[in-house]
Amino acid sequence: MIERINFWGLHGAWHTLAVVVTYAALPLCALVLLVRLYLRIRLWWQVGRPEPRWDHINMRVQRLLKYAIAQVKVWRQAYPGLMHFGLAWGFFVFFLGTALATIDADIVKFLRGPLYLGYKLLLDVFTVIFLVGFVLAGYRRFVQRPERLTLTSPFALALGLIFLIVFTGLATESLRLASVALQPELQPGWRPALGWITPAGWLLAQLWLALGLTVPALTQIHLATWLVHAGLVAIFLVTLPTSALVHVITSPLNVFFSQLDRPDGRLAPAFQRDGLAGVATLRDFTWKQLMDADACTECGRCQDVCPAHASGQPLSPKKVILGIKNALTTCRAVLRGRNGNGQGEWPPFTGAVVEDAAAWACTTCRACVAECPVLIEHVDAIVDLRRCLLAQQRADGQLTTSLSNLRRYGNSFGKSDKQRAKWTTGLDFKLKDIRKQPAKLLWFVGDYASYSPALTEITQATARVFQRAGLDVGLLYDAERNAGNDLRRVGEEGLFELLGQKNLAALEKCQFEQIVTTDPHSYNTLKNEYAWNGQSVPVYHYAETLDQALRGGQLSPLRKLDTVATYHDPCYLGRYNGVYDAPRRVLAALGCRLVEMPRHRDRALCCGAGGGRIWMEEKNVKERPSENRVREAAQLAGVQVFVVACPKDLTMFRDAVKTAGLEGRLVVRDLIELVDEATRPLEPAPAVNAGAGAP
Amino acid sequence: MDIVVLCKFVPDLVEDLEIDASTHLLDRNFLRLMPNELDDHALEEALLLKERHGGTVTVVTVDAGDVDEALYTAAAKGADRVVKIVGEGLDQGLSSQRLAALFAQAAGEWPHDLILTGTQAVDDLDGFAGALVAARLGMPYVGYVTKVASENGAVVARKEYPGGLNADIEIVGQAVLGIQSAEKPPRYVVTSKVMAAMKSVTIEEFEAGDAQADLELPITGMAVPQSAAHAEMIVGSVTEVAEKLAKLLRERGLVA
Repeated sequence: MIERINFWGLHGAWHTLAVVVTYAALPLCALVLLVRLYLRIRLWWQVGRPEPRWDHINMRVQRLLKYAIAQVKVWRQAYPGLMHFGLAWGFFVFFLGTALATIDADIVKFLRGPLYLGYKLLLDVFTVIFLVGFVLAGYRRFVQRPERLTLTSPFALALGLIFLIVFTGLATESLRLASVALQPELQPGWRPALGWITPAGWLLAQLWLALGLTVPALTQIHLATWLVHAGLVAIFLVTLPTSALVHVITSPLNVFFSQLDRPDGRLAPAFQRDGLAGVATLRDFTWKQLMDADACTECGRCQDVCPAHASGQPLSPKKVILGIKNALTTCRAVLRGRNGNGQGEWPPFTGAVVEDAAAWACTTCRACVAECPVLIEHVDAIVDLRRCLLAQQRADGQLTTSLSNLRRYGNSFGKSDKQRAKWTTGLDFKLKDIRKQPAKLLWFVGDYASYSPALTEITQATARVFQRAGLDVGLLYDAERNAGNDLRRVGEEGLFELLGQKNLAALEKCQFEQIVTTDPHSYNTLKNEYAWNGQSVPVYHYAETLDQALRGGQLSPLRKLDTVATYHDPCYLGRYNGVYDAPRRVLAALGCRLVEMPRHRDRALCCGAGGGRIWMEEKNVKERPSENRVREAAQLAGVQVFVVACPKDLTMFRDAVKTAGLEGRLVVRDLIELVDEATRPLEPAPAVNAGAGAP
Repeated sequence: MDIVVLCKFVPDLVEDLEIDASTHLLDRNFLRLMPNELDDHALEEALLLKERHGGTVTVVTVDAGDVDEALYTAAAKGADRVVKIVGEGLDQGLSSQRLAALFAQAAGEWPHDLILTGTQAVDDLDGFAGALVAARLGMPYVGYVTKVASENGAVVARKEYPGGLNADIEIVGQAVLGIQSAEKPPRYVVTSKVMAAMKSVTIEEFEAGDAQADLELPITGMAVPQSAAHAEMIVGSVTEVAEKLAKLLRERGLVA
C-alpha cells in the first residue's frame, strides 16, 4: 500500500541535514519568532493602560471561529474576500498538513493508502486555491492599485515570500512525482494513475519529464528545492514579527479580545491622567487599543467606507490606527529613558501623530468598525483623542458655542428650556405632562425635534400619530435636557454626565413603563449609556413603537401609499443598535414599495451630522456625505421618496437635495410623515396638508 | 503682570423679560442671569496676558445670585483667585454707578497692574461701568479695546474706533481697560475641570461696604416709542430708481 515517505529522496548526509533543519533549525527559528513577538507585544501592557477583556470566554471563542477562522467579515467584499480566502486557507491547510506529517513521521504512522491519497489531494487542491488568491492579490496590488491599500514593498515582499514557499513546496512534490514516474520503485505502491490525485503537482511533473530530466538530476533538483523551501520557511518565521504577515497572529488575538463587556452603543468612561481627560500620549490608550494597532492588516476597508474621508476631510481611520502602531514602534526609546532615569518624556500623541482636524472630522458613524475584518475599535480611540483635544481647548469655535449653550441651557440651540415644548401649542389636544400625570410611554423628544422650526410640523405629526394609535404618552416638557449622546462623542464627558444626571433626576420622579425617542442619538444613549439605578427601562425608537402599533392593530393604515421609496438607515439606529427591520416593516405596512440603496443596513452611509459634527464648522469639503447619499438614491429608478427616521437626517438631506440639484427628483420625508399620511382620517374639506395649527 | 477682571451678571435675553410696574425695573422674579459676554472676553484677554507674561488673574463679581458656577468656570480656565462681593440687596439689580462703586472698592484689594472689564453689557450699552471704575480709582480708562500687548514693560492697548480705525495707546502705570473682544474667542473649559474647581477652589468673599453711587437717576415712567414716519420705498427699474434717488438727493441739498 502506498504511504507517505518521510524525507523522500534525502539520503546520507543530506538526510542528516534535513533532520537537523527540521528538528533543530526550524524550531530555533520558531523560538526566535516567539521571542521577537514577545518583545513587541509586551509593549501592549508595558505602555497601555489595563482594561479587563477576559470575560465571556465562550463568546470570545465563538468570535474567534467566526471572524478569524471563517473570516466572515473578509467576505463582505467578494474580490478581496476570495483573494484572502485563497491565501489564508491555503496557509491554514499547509500548516495543518505539516502538523499531520509530523504526527505521521514521529508519533503514529497513519498516512497510508486512501488516507494518504486524500491528504495529498487536499494539499494539492489548496495549493491551487492559494495560487488563485495569489494571482488575485498580485493583480490587485500591481494593476488595480486601490487607494485604500498600503502599496509599499514590505507587503509585496511578504506576498512574494509566501508565494515562493508554496511554489517551492509544489515544485518539491512535482520533482518527486517526476522521479517516481520514471522509477516507480522509488515510492512503493505508486502507479501512474495516482498522479492525478495531486493534479497540480502532476501537471508540473509533466514539465520536468518533457524537459527530459533524468532521475539523478530530478532528485538533485528536488533536494535543492527542498532546502530552498525550508530556508524560505525559516525566513518567514524569523521575519514574521515585523512583517506585514504578523496579522496572522495579532488579528486572531484582537478578535478574541474584542469588546464584549458593553453594548456597541456605550463608550468606555473617560480616562483621566493629571486632570487631563482622554488620550494625550500613547500610554493613555488601553493595552487593547494598542493591540488594535498591531492587528491592523492595512486593508483600508475602514478608509473606503469613511464618510469623512470620502468628503475630502483629513481623516482616515486606517491612518489613525497606523499612527498608534508607528508610535508604538518608536516608543521604546521613551521606555528606556524611563527605566534609566525615571524621566522618560512621552511625546504628545494627540495633535501630533493624528492631526486635530482628523480627530474632529469623525462622524462616529461606526462604518469603519462594521467593516473591519479584525474587529478594530476605531471610534472609541477617536473619541479618546477628542476628549483630550477638548480639554486642551483645541476645538473649533462653532463647537464650543454649542457646548456653552448645552451647558447653560441644556440644548444646543441656546434657547430657553421653557420653549422646549412650544411646538405642542400647535396641537389640538394636550399631551400629558408626565411629571404630573403617569403615562405608559415617556416620549423623549430631543433637541432637534423640539426646537428646530423646520421640524415642528413633523414633531406635531408624531404626536398625532401617537394619539391615533391610542398610545398613552407623556412629555417631560421643560425638564428634558439634551440626552448627551453627541456631547459624549465630542469628548465632553463631564457635561454628558451632568445633563444625564439632570435627565435622570427628572425621570426618577415620573411614572412610566417605557421610553420612546424621536432621535436615534437620544435613543442610543438612553438605551445604552444611562445608568438607570440598576433598573432596566425599555427604550424604543418611534420606528419600533410604530411597528408594534401597526402589527398589533392599534394603528391601521386607512389608505395604501402608492410610493416607491428608499430608506436611509440612521447610524445610531442601525449600526449601533441593529434596528433595521422595524422601519422597513412600517414602510411595507403602509404599502410603500421599498427599493434599497446599494449601501443599506450596516453599510449605510452616514449623513455627516453624527458625533457632534452638526455643531462644527464644515471646512474644505469635497462632496458632503449627505449629497453623496442623495445622489446614490437618485440613481435608483422609480424612487421618488427618500425616507429617514432621524430629525438630524431630515435637516441634512433636505439641504443636500437642494445643493445637489435634485429637487423635483427626490423628496426627503420622515417615516412619521408617511405614517401620518396613511393613517389620517379623511377630513370633510379636500384633503390638503394643512400643516401646523390646522383649522 | 497682575490683572483684576471685573465681571457682572446681566439678564439672559433668551427668556421673556417683564417689567415690574411698581419699580419700572425688570421683574427679577423670573429673570435668568448670565455672565456678561464681553466680561468673558476681558477674562480671556487677561488669561492670554498671564500666559505670555506671567502674573496673576483675579476675577471679581457681584453676588447677584447663582454666580458661583461662573466663578468656578473662571478658576478652571486659569484665574488664580475668584472673588464675589457680597452684601444686602445686591441681587436686586444695580445701576452702573452703584456697580462701579462696588467694583472700585473691591478691585483695590487685590494686586492689579491692569483692571479689565467688558466695555459694554446688554444693560450698559453706553459702556459706563468701566469708565466709572477708572474715575473712582483715579486711573486712566481705555474702552473698546481689542488687543492688549506688553512689550519691554510698556502696555499697549489697541482701541477700535468707528469706521475701521485703530489706535495703539501706550499705557503708563495702572489703568482700566474696557475690552470689546479678546484676541481669541473665549476658551471653553470642559465640565469635568469646572467640577474639579468646585472641589478645590475657594471663592473669596468681599463685604460690600457703604459704597454708594454718586448719582442715581430715578425712572419716572416708561412708554413704547411712537413711530413717526415710515421709510419711503423707491421702486421701479434700476434706471428709474437711480433717477428718483438722484432727484431726491438734489432736492434735499445733499448733492449739488
